[in-house]
Amino acid sequence: MADLLKIRNLALGYPGLTLFRGLSMDVTQGTSLAVLGANGSGKSTFVKMLLNLIDPLAGKLSWPNGRPSEVGYLAQLTEFDRRFPLRVRDLVAMGAWKGFGLRGHLSAETHDKITSALEATGVLEIADRSLHTLSGGQLQRALFARVIMQDTPLILLDEPFAAVDQNTEAHLLTLIDRWRDEGRAVILVVHDLSSVLDRCDHVLLLGGGTASFGPVRDILTPERLVSQKYLSESQAAWMFPEASREAAHD
Amino acid sequence: MIELLIEMWSFAFMQRAIVATTVLSASVAPVGTFLVLRRLSLAGEAMAHAITPGVVIGFVVAGLSVFSLLIGGVIAGGVAAVLTALLARKTILRSDASLASIYLIALAAGIFILSAAGSAVPLKSFLFGSILGIDDASMILIGAVATVTLVAFAFLLRPLIISTCDPVFFEAQTKRPLLVEQAFMLLLVLNLIAAFKTLGTLMAVGLMILPATTARYWSSTITGQLGLTFVFALSSCWVGLTLSYFFPETPSGPAIVLTAGGFFLVSVLLGPHGFGVRLRKTTPQSTSSIVQTPTEKSPQ
Repeated sequence: MADLLKIRNLALGYPGLTLFRGLSMDVTQGTSLAVLGANGSGKSTFVKMLLNLIDPLAGKLSWPNGRPSEVGYLAQLTEFDRRFPLRVRDLVAMGAWKGFGLRGHLSAETHDKITSALEATGVLEIADRSLHTLSGGQLQRALFARVIMQDTPLILLDEPFAAVDQNTEAHLLTLIDRWRDEGRAVILVVHDLSSVLDRCDHVLLLGGGTASFGPVRDILTPERLVSQKYLSESQAAWMFPEASREAAHD
Repeated sequence: MIELLIEMWSFAFMQRAIVATTVLSASVAPVGTFLVLRRLSLAGEAMAHAITPGVVIGFVVAGLSVFSLLIGGVIAGGVAAVLTALLARKTILRSDASLASIYLIALAAGIFILSAAGSAVPLKSFLFGSILGIDDASMILIGAVATVTLVAFAFLLRPLIISTCDPVFFEAQTKRPLLVEQAFMLLLVLNLIAAFKTLGTLMAVGLMILPATTARYWSSTITGQLGLTFVFALSSCWVGLTLSYFFPETPSGPAIVLTAGGFFLVSVLLGPHGFGVRLRKTTPQSTSSIVQTPTEKSPQ
């Protein structure tokens, strides 16, 4: 699979505050990357940089096949207005907004795509319901349907499982697998290690002023998770009991 | 009663007022709808007061010329918006406190200048509007503002919906996310100035907010909101103007806004999204046709 994005010697932060520096990594088509880190480690800043909302402090980003005109994006729900008078179907249609623009009508093909996206995320039955009547899981499914409508080579999901139950999370993870199989690159910002371990190819661990990138098993070691302040030593010992016993034995 | 209504219609000033407020209702309805949806209701109220010194200075310098009122109002609105943003970003004040501070100063300055200049226009009609004050120039102003507003909304509606519902998503989708907000604030100022003659500086925003909040109780779609806001605004204007005609000492602004308030109170009680839904919930409810996944969390 071809590289979608190359990052070299990246430093991110704000004037007077460097969150991390020295990150070099490639994002390849058909892969999924988890971004992990403690609060304030720079996860959201990394997402904003990929969305071109902020510039890096140093380093270089290059897009070998050209920068995509649009990035699939699922934001955190902190600023989402659930009382806005909109139906689920309209929310999903937002994903194709750039296609039909300011005044254009939705084509029959777009309507079909919306129906397919609603079906794929399991919210077709509630397509005509208002947003304020939805549960957290139903809303997140609808937002995943909007990402399907965006139909982009790179997809950013910022804490996609924050307000959903296990069933919904399992369903949404199958969608991520599908996107990866279709050759898209998926970047997920997550807090929970368990949803990452067997699903993502690579992980970017942020914290302690550094950024570590690599295959999941290489990066998510207890030593690194502790040194980059993602876990305390006692948490690491509880989550990785074998590694802890080996360390004690040595 | 019918004879009195026919007599009311025979006066040219009432015909002007009815036409002006009908056009005005079409213009303020979308602005009011999005003021409410964007949680800017109080900011709109503050902006209505903040443009007062500009309108007053325009009036003192050039009389009741539409052009001078427009220029004065737009400049005052722009200065108030910039100062508010500056105070909120560069000092310890939050945006609500900075906005309140600026609009109080602006309103006091406007009234002070108007009084000190020995204006021939009664203060009451300046603050609360007068149906007698709607001349040809005012009609043209209202028509022009309505045209600009409706044409602008034809292009801004989708970006406004997306930026209001999901601002973070919108910011990620567009290169100039602030452009929509700035265009919307300009439309707000233009409509406040257009409504000034009929409703006065203190009541102008009432015709935007109350019909929009009333519509919230009845409709759960954006199209329904926009349509109902217009209907409530128009009904408030017609009933309010009639009240103002039958009670000549009553300025038109409060009469119109009070009528809008009446619609609001009735809607709070009877609207499906007001207390009405709670009253219905006390009776046994039929099973919803839409099956909700049992394991999913309830709405927040």
